[in-house]
Amino acid sequence: MSRSRSILFFVLVFLVQLAISNFLNLGPWITISLIPFLILQIPLQRTPHVVMLSAFGLGLLLDWLSAGVLGLNAFAALMAAAPRRLLYRLIVNGERQEPLWIPLLRDTGLLKYLNYLLSLTAIYLAAFILLDCVSVRPFGFILVKFVVSTLISTLLGLLLAFAFQRRS
Amino acid sequence: MNNRSGLLSTISAIILFFVLASFAIVLVVKNGVVQQYRILGTARDMQAWVWTQSNHIGTFFNYRVENKRLVAENLALQQQLTRYQTAERVLDSVAVRVEPDFSYLSANIVKQTVNQQRNHLILDRGRKDGIEPGLGVVTARGVVGIVGAVGEHYAYVISILGAGQTVSAKLAGSGAFGPMTWPGTRPDRMLLREIPVHIQAVPGDTVLTSGFSTLYPPDIPVGCVVSATVSQGASQELTIALFEDFRTLHSVYVVRNNHQNEIEALYEQIP
Repeated sequence: MSRSRSILFFVLVFLVQLAISNFLNLGPWITISLIPFLILQIPLQRTPHVVMLSAFGLGLLLDWLSAGVLGLNAFAALMAAAPRRLLYRLIVNGERQEPLWIPLLRDTGLLKYLNYLLSLTAIYLAAFILLDCVSVRPFGFILVKFVVSTLISTLLGLLLAFAFQRRS
Repeated sequence: MNNRSGLLSTISAIILFFVLASFAIVLVVKNGVVQQYRILGTARDMQAWVWTQSNHIGTFFNYRVENKRLVAENLALQQQLTRYQTAERVLDSVAVRVEPDFSYLSANIVKQTVNQQRNHLILDRGRKDGIEPGLGVVTARGVVGIVGAVGEHYAYVISILGAGQTVSAKLAGSGAFGPMTWPGTRPDRMLLREIPVHIQAVPGDTVLTSGFSTLYPPDIPVGCVVSATVSQGASQELTIALFEDFRTLHSVYVVRNNHQNEIEALYEQIP
């Protein structure tokens, strides 16, 4: 995927996320987030500083544009962005030394990509749901919301990867 | 060189992470009403916990100072009580004497024994503080002993927990009195002897100092009756549970009878 296509894809996915956040009301049990998927679209060789700042900015922009609680998505995105490189090494491994290389589904294989995406989404949603619900909602609710939201968000991210990343 | 730059990069990344996370939480607190109450509530709880712990630590380090203050306050109250008791007796007897019967000096126990047949204490007061052999040693909850020997800075006290030591005590209700001695078994038990058999002593009755000796002020609560047995068909022997726990004793009062010389002079006049 060329650089311009990557950026376009990134913007499109963010717009989809904005639409989901603003217009799709799925009730209190489900939170769909494509931000973890977008964090995966930041080139792997970027320094942790760049990745954290980008993710934080992305979350903050989403908070601002979706009229949610300002800082909630930013915090969750930061939590997911910080261990991204470590998770990649643990789960996928085998990276190219190209500065703008983004690990795609076709590079990693389905299972590794799924694990990688699932881990990041789980971290993101754990931070998001805990900050949003803890001590306000019962533990059972939080747990169900976390599991359901993680599964749906991961599945959606995987579908996007299938649709746009299987072939160049 | 690479290692150093790698380390610096890691440290700066960690700092950036905490800065951004703090910023995000501040934003959440400022913008989310629920989160504001929850996070600020948690922060207040943590603050309260820190304050409580630091207060405990402060209290621990102030223990000695606070203890000294309490001892001094107690001493002042004890002397005030003695003055009132004296004044009461003065009114009763229409006497002219106004000087209190007893004066007190606080002291700390430097060393003591409780598990020997003849026990003793060492006090941190001596001749320079006006301590003399033969003075009584008490607490607000009982009698401790008699000053046996005095050094310049320390005093040796013969504990009442010793064979041959006797304290004159009475039952609070009836006023029946007798010698109280230590049977040598437990440091929290004494025997009050020679109580007439017609006096009914029930468990829980308070035992006080009688005041019939020149050593100890009257009416200091010493203990309470645990049981009573008739001894040789003539008198009762009461087992007394002492109020004062000698094993945890730290501060005492040395008591001076302000009329002891006068009383002793009277004894000397008797042929």
